[in-house]
Amino acid sequence: MLKKLLVLLAGVMVLCTGTQAQDLALKGATILTITNGTIENGTIVIQRGKITALGQDVEIPAGVKVIDVTGRFVLPGIIDSHSHIALSDTNEATDPVTPQIWMREGLEPDSPQILTTLGGGVTTVKTMHGSANVIGGVNVTIKLKHNRPVEELIVPDVRQQLKMALGENPKRLYGTKGRTPSTRMGSAYVARKAFIEAQEYKARWDKYEKDKAGGKKDLTPPKKDLKMETLKMVLEKKLSIDCHTYRADEIVWIIEFCKEFDLDLIQLSHCVDGYKVADVMAEAGVFHGGWIDWWGYKEEAYDGCPYGFRIMYDAGVKIVINSDSPDEGRYLWRNAAKVLKYNNIPENEVLKMITLNAAESLELGDRIGSLEVGKDGDVAVFEKHPLDSTTKCLLTIIEGEIFFDYAKHSITAHGGSR
Amino acid sequence: MRRSILFGGLLVGILPLVIAASAADTLLIKNGTIVTVTGPILKGGDLLIENGTIAKIGKSIQAPAGAKVIDASGKFVYPGLVAVMTAVGVTGYPGAGNDTDEVGVSTPHMDPYDAINPEDDCIEVTRVGGVTTVQTISGSASVLNGKSIVMHLAGDLAEDMVCKRYAAQIINLAAREQGKYPSTIPGVVALLKDKFNQTKDYVTKKKKQENGAGNTKGQDVGRGTSQPFKRNLELEALVPVLAGKVPVIFITYDEVTVRKAIEIIKEYKLQGVIQARDGVFKYHMGAALAAHGVMFAFDPGGWGPGNRNVRNLPVPAAISVAHGLSEEAAIKAMTINPAKILGIDDRVGSLEEGKVANVVIWSGSPVQLRSRVDTVIIKGEPVPLTSLQTRLYDKYSKLVKERIEKKKSGK
Repeated sequence: MLKKLLVLLAGVMVLCTGTQAQDLALKGATILTITNGTIENGTIVIQRGKITALGQDVEIPAGVKVIDVTGRFVLPGIIDSHSHIALSDTNEATDPVTPQIWMREGLEPDSPQILTTLGGGVTTVKTMHGSANVIGGVNVTIKLKHNRPVEELIVPDVRQQLKMALGENPKRLYGTKGRTPSTRMGSAYVARKAFIEAQEYKARWDKYEKDKAGGKKDLTPPKKDLKMETLKMVLEKKLSIDCHTYRADEIVWIIEFCKEFDLDLIQLSHCVDGYKVADVMAEAGVFHGGWIDWWGYKEEAYDGCPYGFRIMYDAGVKIVINSDSPDEGRYLWRNAAKVLKYNNIPENEVLKMITLNAAESLELGDRIGSLEVGKDGDVAVFEKHPLDSTTKCLLTIIEGEIFFDYAKHSITAHGGSR
Repeated sequence: MRRSILFGGLLVGILPLVIAASAADTLLIKNGTIVTVTGPILKGGDLLIENGTIAKIGKSIQAPAGAKVIDASGKFVYPGLVAVMTAVGVTGYPGAGNDTDEVGVSTPHMDPYDAINPEDDCIEVTRVGGVTTVQTISGSASVLNGKSIVMHLAGDLAEDMVCKRYAAQIINLAAREQGKYPSTIPGVVALLKDKFNQTKDYVTKKKKQENGAGNTKGQDVGRGTSQPFKRNLELEALVPVLAGKVPVIFITYDEVTVRKAIEIIKEYKLQGVIQARDGVFKYHMGAALAAHGVMFAFDPGGWGPGNRNVRNLPVPAAISVAHGLSEEAAIKAMTINPAKILGIDDRVGSLEEGKVANVVIWSGSPVQLRSRVDTVIIKGEPVPLTSLQTRLYDKYSKLVKERIEKKKSGK
């Protein structure tokens, strides 16, 4: 009986893989590879979830489903490196230090926000803890496989990133409750204290592990502390950091802080004043992950400057455009067009801000963010060039599977009007 | 300077200056694609501006002596965009500088004219984005929020900028209170109807009393004597609304609030306008409204926080074009349609002879978000393409470059 059931289960599983990792070819499109120029009238083949061929003269293997996209534009799936979609909650706003919070625990794979975001050609997002706490939770990088089990969404084998936040939000939230931090000095203290405790915690555990390995008997393991466990992972570089910053002084401060504790700071989110210290950011090799034109909605955002992208670009800062939103990830390509309104930056470099640079900021540059053989089959098909603001996304494909089809999903994803 | 005419005593002294100023105001835009909005598109066209107004549109217009000529070859000449729902001029610096949203659920008498700061950084940021005329509202957090004004975004004093006072009353049908009345949408509707009914009574009472005061014997109906009428500024603000003279803009968020707005407009015979906030605005909506012949304008609210990104007015236009609206209709919904809604279409919203010369030269269509604004002319005068943000760029591009150079040479 059990044997029968197992055979049946195996059959079901085969069936599932069969439909999920569909082999697919798109032909006739203008392919924007991002890393190797533009291919006119090109074909791209995706097999077993990976790109297996692309070019003008590509033989489509037998058995591969062919979609004719003649006249359309194919680009790598867009990536939002600072999203808040598909989460049951955003902020554990009860304490300024909450690294024990993992956003993957609150993922909602059936969230309608996923479909809406797919409608903007987005295939991968890092969905994040909010900015209430100096040390928030651990973000989670997911592919937008709508309605699939959580574990299919979470991108495997990649470092996740701890969210930190400086500036007005933590100091307002805790300051108004009469708690530390109520100032930027307080936030600095809170962060420093937490990581010093984590160093001590790590030292205790390292000693224990060493003694144990050395064969010592009657050892009592140190007490487990989930907050410290996460920070220990950050110290061990098993996690990196994405820090919410606005003012230039905060940007410089967090770069110095991460040097002091030898932490991997990857992205500065919002980073509204990034252009003012573009040289410092370039030297630290940290990504700018922000908006193009948001400004003035609060004091620390007052100097937001859309022309600042050029300063950062010239200084060698890697720029990522992201949404910081449960809703606006779908507009990333329209925001990329705005970069050109304010800055003389080559078009392909602007497209990198929503594809390859974003992939690199997630340490996934070898898997997504450009169209190359061997990379994941994550593709967006647009009606016209993605920097044409009057275009729209027609298909969003993840690992060879269509998750958004304008013809089927447009009314749900974009709102109907009858 | 035109203001000076009000001061009779100064008129003579100022007159030569006025003439000098208007001579400098003669501008000829040459050889552009002129998108008139209300008429045909004129390729290789010229547009002559004299004394702050559009004097002539056509081909091969001769430049009058002393006219400044602007070459628009390869470029597109549009009327300045008109933004219907903004807080430009009253948002100011975050914190104490913000003058929107007075306390109270019913503040229809608030008038943003009393708080306009012509040095608000939003003004420059908005106009270099091609928006030359805005309606500024007093807020949107109350049920009855207040009056609005329409301004051209150039001038040193509020009175220089104003295009129209009390252009509309702003009502928010979802402005529930927390823990006090009205805390529900039916409560909001009831409060609104109460205020309208009180206003009707107020008008009746005022008329009666005025009639009474006109009686030489001092006889008032029902009373023996007439007393000075006790004014109520709150209800007075609603009198022209109920008379159908001032339109009401209903802020709506969903189907319920839209339906309530329509019912109230019908019941009180109001001049009604519906603002569809995020929950109502859908990608396909522009095309659907156009198909049903509904007059509509795009509005930048919700497309960027704090209403400081009025320059993003073309974003909903671009989205609508992507999803079925014609570009022509989208441009109208940023120019002549908002002008009609605000009752200023006799002055702005299209390029026509005799209209106020609010003219913007673009590198491409405004619905393309990458298109750049090359020239902005407001009331016939080019404004500098500078803002807080260009000044920040100038300062920090120099500083960052200097630091990089210094570091290089130091090594």
